[in-house]
Amino acid sequence: MSAKDNKDSSHIAFHQSVNFTFDGVKYKGFKGDTIASALIRNNIKIIGRSFKYHRPRGIYTCGIEEPNALVQILSEHNEPNTRATVKQIYEGLKIESQNRWPSLENDLSSVNNLLSPLFSAGFYNKTFMKPRGFWKKVYEPLIRKAAGLGKPPKPFKTKSTQLHHHVDIAIVGGGLSGLLAAKSLAKTKLKVLLIEQDSYLGGILKNSNKVSTIENKDNASWIKDIETEIEDSKNIKVLKNTLATTYNYINHLIAIEDLTTGTMPLEGHADQILHKIRADHIILANGHIERLISFRNNDLPGIMLAGSFEKYIQRYGVIPDISPVIFSNNSSSFSLIKKLIDLKCKPQAYVDSRSGDKIESSLLDIIHKENIPLFTNAHVEGCDGKKQVEEISIRDSEGIITKLKSKMLCISGGFNPDVHLFTQSKGVLTWDDQYLTFKPSKSFQNTIVIGSAGGLFQYSKLVNDIDSKLSFLNHEPIVNINFELNESDNYAIEKLWETKHEKKSRWSKSFIDLQNDVTTKDLRQGIREGFDRIEHLKRFTTNSMGTDQGKISSINALGIVSEILNKKVSEVGTTIYRPPYAPLSFASIAGRSTYNFYDPERKTSIHEWHKKNGAVFEDVGQWKRPWYFKSHLEENLDQAVQREAHQVRKYAGVLDGSTLGKIEIKGSDALEFMNLMYTNNFSKMKPMSARYALMLGEDGMIMDDGIISKINDSHFIATTTTGGAAKVLSHMEEFSQTEWPHLNVFMNSITEQFCTFNISGPNTRLIMEKVFEHIKFDNESFPFMTFNNFTYLDTTIRILRASFTGELGYEIYVRPSIALKLWENLFRFGEDEGLIAYGTETMHLLRAEKGYIIVGQDTDGSVTPQDMDLEWMIGKNKKDFIGKRSLTRSDTIRSDRKQLVGIKPIDQKNIIEEGQHIILSSNIKPPVKMLGHITSSYMSPNLGHSFGMAVIKDGKNLIGSRAYVSSSSKVAFEVEIMKPVFIDEKNKRLIS
Amino acid sequence: MLIINCPYCGPREQCEFTNGGEAHVARPSNPEKVSDKEWSEYVFFRSNPKGIYFERWVHSHGCKKWFNAVRDTSTDKVLKVYEIKDEKPSLADLENSNLTTPSGEPEVGSGNFTVRKT
Repeated sequence: MSAKDNKDSSHIAFHQSVNFTFDGVKYKGFKGDTIASALIRNNIKIIGRSFKYHRPRGIYTCGIEEPNALVQILSEHNEPNTRATVKQIYEGLKIESQNRWPSLENDLSSVNNLLSPLFSAGFYNKTFMKPRGFWKKVYEPLIRKAAGLGKPPKPFKTKSTQLHHHVDIAIVGGGLSGLLAAKSLAKTKLKVLLIEQDSYLGGILKNSNKVSTIENKDNASWIKDIETEIEDSKNIKVLKNTLATTYNYINHLIAIEDLTTGTMPLEGHADQILHKIRADHIILANGHIERLISFRNNDLPGIMLAGSFEKYIQRYGVIPDISPVIFSNNSSSFSLIKKLIDLKCKPQAYVDSRSGDKIESSLLDIIHKENIPLFTNAHVEGCDGKKQVEEISIRDSEGIITKLKSKMLCISGGFNPDVHLFTQSKGVLTWDDQYLTFKPSKSFQNTIVIGSAGGLFQYSKLVNDIDSKLSFLNHEPIVNINFELNESDNYAIEKLWETKHEKKSRWSKSFIDLQNDVTTKDLRQGIREGFDRIEHLKRFTTNSMGTDQGKISSINALGIVSEILNKKVSEVGTTIYRPPYAPLSFASIAGRSTYNFYDPERKTSIHEWHKKNGAVFEDVGQWKRPWYFKSHLEENLDQAVQREAHQVRKYAGVLDGSTLGKIEIKGSDALEFMNLMYTNNFSKMKPMSARYALMLGEDGMIMDDGIISKINDSHFIATTTTGGAAKVLSHMEEFSQTEWPHLNVFMNSITEQFCTFNISGPNTRLIMEKVFEHIKFDNESFPFMTFNNFTYLDTTIRILRASFTGELGYEIYVRPSIALKLWENLFRFGEDEGLIAYGTETMHLLRAEKGYIIVGQDTDGSVTPQDMDLEWMIGKNKKDFIGKRSLTRSDTIRSDRKQLVGIKPIDQKNIIEEGQHIILSSNIKPPVKMLGHITSSYMSPNLGHSFGMAVIKDGKNLIGSRAYVSSSSKVAFEVEIMKPVFIDEKNKRLIS
Repeated sequence: MLIINCPYCGPREQCEFTNGGEAHVARPSNPEKVSDKEWSEYVFFRSNPKGIYFERWVHSHGCKKWFNAVRDTSTDKVLKVYEIKDEKPSLADLENSNLTTPSGEPEVGSGNFTVRKT
């Protein structure tokens, strides 16, 4: 029979119709409808095809626990797997069903159903193995096409924000229990947050017909009054359309709020808020979930959970079918039957697995009064029909089958307290033998569980439950509330997980997990194959691994497994419930940290000048550094670098080195501290001089390097690599605070307090003399590796004579506020002398021509100073420094360590590439012994050929000999192993 | 996400801190005199018990100070926080003085099982 509206429901705006399309066909619903309730109104039965077998599926529930009704939203981001039972419709909403081709009615892949004996449990683990070549070319492409439930979303930029809450009490669930808890906390001094997933408060009061009156009011009025009380109390904040998904340690909740309920998401507006809630106490009032019963073809469209059927009537104002058959193993159907009668409908039959003497008298009375056909001690054996329920087979205690023609079957297998959040909080559960379910037993955090979420199903005991659990707050308890119920207050259930099949057909299936198409036969097969632990059985069968996490069936599976293994259900246990409770979008987790806000972009004071002058930038950590400068639009990287590198060695060039770390170290024990941090001996250093220094880890490996400037024994400035700045400062703080707290030393980052310009080249002195008229730059006045402070434009600058290019050069440290002005002055006076700006790529090339290492390029955390030919940097007569002892470990003194060398091709036409391996012979036949690899390589305009730096086993002893490098064209070419310096070995240019 | 009670700033979220590995691992005062084995144990070896663990934290997004903590690794509960210079607390000083290390699976709080062991 067909669906009918229930205009009594106050949550649907029957005067406001909403047009939407499903699979290209237009339908009408009402404002407040979900996709599911609107489709039910339109008598749509099939909503999708199942995952593996492509069986037709219909709407099974009325909530977030839905396994079947997953649809694709075309009018938004094309998001797949949206729950039709939760998503509210809006004008113009376009929806498509999933997992079928060419259409929902006729899905070619339903051939899988015929092949289903092949697709039994564990088939993923047993198939597609041979022949080996087939995996890449045949199996994988086919599986990729067939896999998944929907189509991927379109690329989109969604916006989501995050909010933090710090409250005394958070209540999860704005249903009956949650509202009573909030009522008791109103007008206290406690800061309370109430979270409710629906658009309306009330829970079971709005979703069912179970409570007739509460405090002598009808449900809607009582809810309205409580809501007003909560609003007036001012200490309780209510979040609706907000679902708590995660309960972390320590008392930390994640909840996701949907800002677009019933509306189209607006471009440029946030559509979700991720709430991060820290609470002193968390009250879980998140209720219970109904479970199914397994029987033959229990997945046919037209089968729905009984409580969900009731929720469609009460909450969504639609009766899915005016004469359903009801099948239950418990006492809860009374309220549904009564509601149907009140609405002038009549169930076609009531089937109860319990015997007549166990059934509540109130239930038997209404059945007899209304002449509803009654089957006691009976089971639904199975359902039959072409793509939907057409006939229901009922077997009585004698084994006699009665077949009823019907299009709707409501089933109830009992109720499970929703324990997901409770177990996420690391609390433990216990099995309840009366209600045949798991309930919270011992909590680990400040967690309070009330109402049915805690396994309490009696209304008469609810207020006492809440009062006693909140008594520690020492506030006014709630005065006892009277309920008039439409059902017995003593919920009773008899065990029934699965009914026996009559038909022995291979294709008849009794499902346990609807979303992943797992049958009860799969569970039995898995156990037979040895997977008798529940965590193994879950993975082997994929039971409860879908997006619904088996909410309506996972406990049933445990019941079935316990019977097969002849163990108690508590011995079988459950699998671990993992967050999130329901799917969370990545956008909500990312919040505002997306696109431009993903990572801070750090720029130097010269950034705009770089941009205007043709810089192409690269990311070094969070910094934007000029990689190279285009002298004209068509110039590419290679051309620019050849030009820049040639120009610097011929005339002059300046690099913006502001991004390198700078640390100031001060204190009466600064010298002793610096001697411990670096390999060098700084004791004999003259004040106002500088030295290149190495920093090692305690394992003896090079960690960072830089230039140390000594102002005096109590005052140093250290530079670091760009990427290592934060790491070096943290490393210094760690040792200062934890190892040598007796040393009087302080350190501070001054990276952003100064801009650094590295100017070098033969014409540098000329340029500097023009820019800084009053400073003497000759060799006697300004020796190599010394520095001084000078006045410039009313500020103090520091100039250090040093260079990383091997040319005569200086480093200028200047305050950011006048940095650009100084930079422009350098060019004003320098342009005529051939000064150019150069980028990081050229800088890498020029230093490599001199054999200077770059930490992180030529080192990788596994090289010592000796490996890099920098033994001279280790201070003699130093008793101790970080890493010293490790330099004499058996591993660091062995002879076949990889050592730094230079590599030059014999035939100058050959190009050396980074990462190439160095081998002894050109005969590449596996296994090939690899001596080492190229760490840096460049085409040098100054040498006229390519060259590289490499680390080779026993490299120092191989200098002068020949070897081969394997190239990407698979032809090895001959190279010479040489000292790692290619230009001006005697450093004449540097100290000129 | 834990809440860690920085001895200098008070309770703060875990993401403000960086874990610094095992505490009370003394750097040999005369590195030149110790054997390779002893030195390597200082550089590379750390204990990894299931139970009471003494570790270091640094408040990297706050005061940047290092301090020590005692955490039960089987449940992640931080039992005590104390300054870097303080003595290592004895187990008896801690909140639940019948704790041992290693502790085995706790009755509740590991998150490794959902059903109460009877």
